[in-house]
Amino acid sequence: MTSAYRHTTKWLAIAPIAVMLAFVLVPVLNIFSTSLRLDSFAILSAATTRNIVWFTTWQAFISTAIVLVIASPIAAVIANFKFIGRRALISLVSVPFILPTVVVGAAFLELLPRSIHRSALAIIIAHVYFNVGLAVRIISSRWQQIHPQLDDAARTLGASTIRTFLTITLPLLKKSFISAGLLVFLMCFTSYGVVRILGGPARSTIETEIYFRAMQLGDVSGALVLSILQLVVVGILIFLITNIGKAKASPKFGQTVYSRMHHPRSSRQKLLVATVAITTAVAVVTPLMSVLHRSIYLGQRFDTSAWRSVLVDTEIFSSLLTSLRYAIFSIVVSSIVGLLGASAIVYGSSRYQFVNLITSIPIVLSAVTLGLGLIITFDVNPIDWRGSWLMMPIAHCLVAIPIVIRIISPVLRDLPNDLRDASRTLGATTWQMWRTIDLRIITPALITAAAIACAISLGEFGASSFLVRRNNETLPLTISRLLSRPGDSIQAQAYAISTLLIVVCIGIIAIVDYRDSNERGI
Amino acid sequence: MLECRNLVVNYESTPVLQNLSIYIGSGEIVALTGPSGSGKTTLLRCIAGLEIINAGSIWLNAEEITTRPAHLRRIGLVFQDNQLFPHLNVAENIAYSLKIHRVSKKLIDEKVAEVLDLVDLAHLADREVVRLSGGEAKRIAVARALVAQPEVLLLDEPLNGLDKELHARLLEDLGKLLRLRGTTTLHVTHDQDEAAKMADRVLDIRQLLS
Repeated sequence: MTSAYRHTTKWLAIAPIAVMLAFVLVPVLNIFSTSLRLDSFAILSAATTRNIVWFTTWQAFISTAIVLVIASPIAAVIANFKFIGRRALISLVSVPFILPTVVVGAAFLELLPRSIHRSALAIIIAHVYFNVGLAVRIISSRWQQIHPQLDDAARTLGASTIRTFLTITLPLLKKSFISAGLLVFLMCFTSYGVVRILGGPARSTIETEIYFRAMQLGDVSGALVLSILQLVVVGILIFLITNIGKAKASPKFGQTVYSRMHHPRSSRQKLLVATVAITTAVAVVTPLMSVLHRSIYLGQRFDTSAWRSVLVDTEIFSSLLTSLRYAIFSIVVSSIVGLLGASAIVYGSSRYQFVNLITSIPIVLSAVTLGLGLIITFDVNPIDWRGSWLMMPIAHCLVAIPIVIRIISPVLRDLPNDLRDASRTLGATTWQMWRTIDLRIITPALITAAAIACAISLGEFGASSFLVRRNNETLPLTISRLLSRPGDSIQAQAYAISTLLIVVCIGIIAIVDYRDSNERGI
Repeated sequence: MLECRNLVVNYESTPVLQNLSIYIGSGEIVALTGPSGSGKTTLLRCIAGLEIINAGSIWLNAEEITTRPAHLRRIGLVFQDNQLFPHLNVAENIAYSLKIHRVSKKLIDEKVAEVLDLVDLAHLADREVVRLSGGEAKRIAVARALVAQPEVLLLDEPLNGLDKELHARLLEDLGKLLRLRGTTTLHVTHDQDEAAKMADRVLDIRQLLS
């Protein structure tokens, strides 16, 4: 608890609690109480449901295993070697993770041979592409916290490079591998956009089945039963992820990042770095280039009509403006509510930890269920918001707020109280102290959080699928609609929009990584 | 015996060691002093095989080891901040080199017990290393290096950061232990008193450069 602000904590907590109560808890409890029928639980024993659960699980498991295998050498190179383009490689490998899922789906629809479209293989490949960056970031940052002299100590005690890796590095990285694995599994298990685009009707995961049951079959109760099933699995996974770092016998790691990195010395090291860096860059860029290529080539012919239509077609241009408007809304609202939430959690006593809990609900809850809750709850007077443009950006904020809180709160928590005390003794009021110390120090984290909120809003697809109305289609929904229509020139428009989103996401990653490296003085 | 002949080490074109030569006889304890940044730690890392040298050669018992990998040199190094493996307990840390060399479990247990007795910490065998005090961690680091029976032991300011009383006690114990085992030792320190009390011979790194 930060005593300097303890009197303000209750005011700080009001907005995040009110937002979560009004737009998450109430809608979710409402749909469960009004729409869930006990007889719907029978679908859990149906063969189709069992097949869907089995497919959701095994594709997530295989995707996770492949992600960890591919991420390991990339993380090793990033954590241990200095080389030209290292920072660019870190940013590049992270780009897929913030790309809208429909864009990743579209990229692989273009890149993969038609014979494996609508197959489990296509979904797994896209999931691997989407999540490798996440695993690389988790594993490489933990790797950088391992003191390089531990390796030296092992070598002077007779361990070869491989033995040192197996007996020292790997055991120390074990928990980061488990954390990364659980998070990637969670992402693949709850994946929606990729499965919708690449799986087609033949391949369903629990998340797409929730959408299908609620929207196509009108079986909201059945959708809720599946939602409960997913909630249980996700809850267990999140419990495991949160408790990995708290295991009793775990080696203690601080925030210290050691300068493990050195220029590759031997020719073997040079070859390793070059191979990993070039292969990674090619693997990340190829799907992105295929999106651009598809947007400017019709058949074998160079054609920019898709790009012209993005600016001329009123529907597409309207989607572009809608996405931008919602992104701005999401940046402003998520940043403010997220900042207030993070402040309440960090400044408040232990009883304010429930703010942490309540703002975690949107992470546990699937975006599709969230959308379903909102649409069913806010469709009666006096809060009949079915026609309101507000619902979709609010849903985007609900997905972004927990992430914003998790970006800002560690920085606030690490801020030494002595700085605030020093400011107090120099005559600052509470407000001046917060503005000149806390706000100044968390500004880079706040900018990162705003950038991520922007990316989330621009790419959100799950909840938006439920909340879309005439005249408020966002770009991912437009991409999905255009891809489902026949005709090369129409599909090229989807790829032109996807290219736009890719450029924006690369810009966002550049902002985040530039600020991050400046902050750490890298 | 250990000998370095005309060692040259540069870090990205900045010279760190220029034509450094040093000789240490078998069983001898030599203390190396010098100001901060004069290359003492770099010299130890070169001898241990952890740094690449630009020129010169290193000899151990009349055999050139300049290009030999660190894990095949049989040269132990006690780091300034110990570098005990945080995922292993005290006994496992000490047993590390024995396991690497596939020594039998029975012999490992015997040797670990023996060396823990030697450093007076037999009661801490099962303790997590993160729970050791500064002095205990230092003793374990020395024990871990000694159990590997290195031809040469390198000590990189091993008593740095300890309080005065503990420093004096450990210095005495360490000196006795190394003499008892006849371990050839190069002890780097910036403390002239420590160097004089511990070593057979005290050298200043600046005198070794030509």
